[in-house]
Amino acid sequence: MKIEKKAARFLTYFILTAVAAIALFPIIYVISASFKSNSEIMVHPEHLFPVEPTLDNYKQAWNSGNFQIGNMLWNSLYYSVICVVITMITSSMGGYVFSRGDFPGKKIVFAVFSSLMFVSIGSITIYPLFDILDIFGLAHSLWGLIVMKMFGVSIINVYLVRSYVNTLPKALDEAAKIDGCSFFGTFARIVLPLTKPIMATVGILAFQGSWNEYLLPTIFTLTRPEQRTLIVGVVALKNSGHAAASWNLMLAGTTVALIPVLLAYAVGNKYFVSGIAAGAVKG
Amino acid sequence: MKTVKERGNTAIKSRRRSEIISCYLMLSTQIVGVLVFTLIPMLWAAQKAFFHYTGAPSETRFVGLENFARLLSEDKVYWGTWLTTLKFAFFKLPIELPLALFLAVLLEKKIKGKGIFRAIYYLPNIISVAIVGLIFSNMFDYFGLINAWLVKLKLITEEISWFSSTGRAMTVLVTASVWSTFGINVLYFIAALSNVPKDVYEAAKIDGASSFVTFFRITLPMIAPVMQTILLLSINGTLHVNEEILVTTGGAPSGTTFSVMAYQVSKFVPGFAGDNVNIGYGCAMAIITSVIMCAVAIAYSKISSKLQNIY
Repeated sequence: MKIEKKAARFLTYFILTAVAAIALFPIIYVISASFKSNSEIMVHPEHLFPVEPTLDNYKQAWNSGNFQIGNMLWNSLYYSVICVVITMITSSMGGYVFSRGDFPGKKIVFAVFSSLMFVSIGSITIYPLFDILDIFGLAHSLWGLIVMKMFGVSIINVYLVRSYVNTLPKALDEAAKIDGCSFFGTFARIVLPLTKPIMATVGILAFQGSWNEYLLPTIFTLTRPEQRTLIVGVVALKNSGHAAASWNLMLAGTTVALIPVLLAYAVGNKYFVSGIAAGAVKG
Repeated sequence: MKTVKERGNTAIKSRRRSEIISCYLMLSTQIVGVLVFTLIPMLWAAQKAFFHYTGAPSETRFVGLENFARLLSEDKVYWGTWLTTLKFAFFKLPIELPLALFLAVLLEKKIKGKGIFRAIYYLPNIISVAIVGLIFSNMFDYFGLINAWLVKLKLITEEISWFSSTGRAMTVLVTASVWSTFGINVLYFIAALSNVPKDVYEAAKIDGASSFVTFFRITLPMIAPVMQTILLLSINGTLHVNEEILVTTGGAPSGTTFSVMAYQVSKFVPGFAGDNVNIGYGCAMAIITSVIMCAVAIAYSKISSKLQNIY
């Protein structure tokens, strides 16, 4: 009995560790391969770790004329930061209004916002979107996408904030109201400071989402390669026709693209998880 | 002169009005966004679906239901991409969901380093699907790591060209996809399992139920409702698979690994599609596709609630 139990325990740990190794493997591989020389990438694909680690790929990526990694990094950075700020502002207000607001049409507006999650026509709508943004001279640029985000509804985040505000005691608002605080004032002075934990979740998820985005930034920067974000630029290399010869640049670019997200995950792991848990409860 | 009561009433009324105005002001960007960037594009697509439309005004003409008729009766390629999408789901979900449930059950036991395992399993999920596509196309490259290792282990005698056969390319896609999303299902299942009251397990133990019986007789039925949600989310996500395929195979070999969403991008979206495409036809395709997607979701929830009645 004792031995059996021990064996089962060992087996459990063995399986868990093996899966963890598989989950980590591609990430470790990419990072370590980015330190291989181009010839080692070609000739010795079987090496998991480089024999002679080198920074050449990073140097080349940094100095290359057509693969401007510094520029792309900057684009990714400002795009993601602006998206985070926008998402935090709109979803905190949305969550608060849908939790505490009392206004005619609340149910309808909320239902319409929610149904957007499921009803979407997909990528073909890029044509009318460009037509609309063209009116303001914003089509075909990363800023056009940013403007679209400014007017966007991130419904999952609205849900997260709404259910969080629902848990805050109503007495707080009423006290503020009696003291002469307006509806918006109550939000800005009382509720918002209390929503820090969920706002951290919203912010970190928004950062991850916008940093990782591929399709829309690709379409919006088609005619302006200088506005490409890192993900867009790295993938563009693969489709460029020199793919076989540029694996070294792609690996270096991929690693650079991975680092901010991995860092965010290392620092804010619990926020990622609380976002998922809340999303699951919502169903 | 107003009485005190009247003055109070007007104060409440103006307060109420200002609250309503504040609510709408605070939602204003989102409401405008829904109208301008969602509703108008949808109506635009609904209208253009009845036109032959390439963007050039001179070539625009009303064609009635022709786009729909052609799509429904003739477009074998489009329906083929549906088949590919279903195949993808058919291979992916039976691997991913049982695996995730199994890992969640293991993690429910007294395990040291539970949090670390959980964090590692979820890690692939936070990586951009485009990057996942890149990583896996590098690993499964003809001159890549996987081929080199398989040759070394003498499992194959010479390098395999992974992306030149539909079956093999599909294997890579499913592998990459399972890798990138199994972790979130592990977390979902852990949440579901933690809601099962512990005393039920104890009662089963006292009655002498084996862990096998406990799992199928107690755990599974207890988490069934949550499992339906998990399954719906997985089906929905899998049917919408898009960017990963665009980056990893780009449809290779010759478009046979395009999912229905990826196919539409490759066919109609600037930067992926050729010039002078019939956007009207693309609109008809987008509408039919989203109708089918909705129908699947509705059918699924109807069927699963029926199944629950049977139980």
